[in-house]
Amino acid sequence: MTFRVYFKSLVITAALALFGGGLFLYSGLYPMGADVEHNRFTYWLLETLRERSVARSADAIEVPPGLDSSEHLLSGGADYNDMCAGCHLKPGKTDSDFTLGLYPVPPNLTLAHDEHADADSGQIARRQFWIIKHGIKASGMPAWGPTHDDQRIWAMVAFLQRLPDLDPEQYQIITARGETNGSSHH
Amino acid sequence: MTIKRFNPIILLAALGLTLTVQAHSPKEHMTDAEQPNCKSMSNMDHTKMDTNDPVMQAMMKQCMKGMHPNESEQEEAQLDPQDDGKRSAEQHSEHQH
Ligand code: HEC
Repeated sequence: MTFRVYFKSLVITAALALFGGGLFLYSGLYPMGADVEHNRFTYWLLETLRERSVARSADAIEVPPGLDSSEHLLSGGADYNDMCAGCHLKPGKTDSDFTLGLYPVPPNLTLAHDEHADADSGQIARRQFWIIKHGIKASGMPAWGPTHDDQRIWAMVAFLQRLPDLDPEQYQIITARGETNGSSHH
Repeated sequence: MTIKRFNPIILLAALGLTLTVQAHSPKEHMTDAEQPNCKSMSNMDHTKMDTNDPVMQAMMKQCMKGMHPNESEQEEAQLDPQDDGKRSAEQHSEHQH
């Protein structure tokens, strides 16, 4: 008897929640503009969804040996400067039209990442490789895999590991494309 | 009929023009690429420079290439196919095949 009452109220609560959720969804009340931040609950929901998904997908990726080489830094640095610096900044810059206007805000990749301090360097590299190759849905982060092979993406990952160490002068020298013979970038 | 006889010639000419454009466009892009500002390297703290550091090696590679600035200028001067000599004729065939 008590079980049936309990069960009945559970079903009614679930139905009400579903109905209320649907009502909210169709009401158009949730602010969708990039200039209004998510509330904490939505933020937590989306962040958890993203981090769990990336971690699971990137888990099996093997990091190639010898990432930290001057060749990788030169290839990855020039690509980063051409394709990423507008959103992810470069040494000496603290904001751009993209960091001010996009939401989620593109993280400043010239800062040493402390939020993943507990992750080892292999985990960081795998995660970055996966994100660069596949992009992130419903954010400004594009997938670069369709237009760039894995080798070039790994070179960008290698560059990202050293980017927080670079001052503006070092960054300029390493990322400048001038004076190359151009053979590898046709 | 006369028109038909000229078609392959026009086609060849058009093809030649397209190939010339293709062969040169990456080079032309290179001319407005940013040059590494190697002068700033001489102001850096030399005591902190570690030649085993890939960052340092990468900078040295960038600036070694800058030691021969005249070569690239000569190449640019030869973009006009009319008046270039043997050397650039070799370059062209390299691009087109
Ligand atoms: C149009 C802007 C834009 C461009 C261009 C762009 N990104 Fe992003 N990127 C983003 C945004 C926005 C995020 C955050 C997405 C999120 O939080 O869901 C992001 C996230 C990332 C992350 C994850 C950072 C972290 O630790 O959480 C990496 C790594 C990254 N981008 C690398 C790159 C690289 C490399 C390039 C160039 C090849 C690039 N991005 C180009 C907007 C951009």
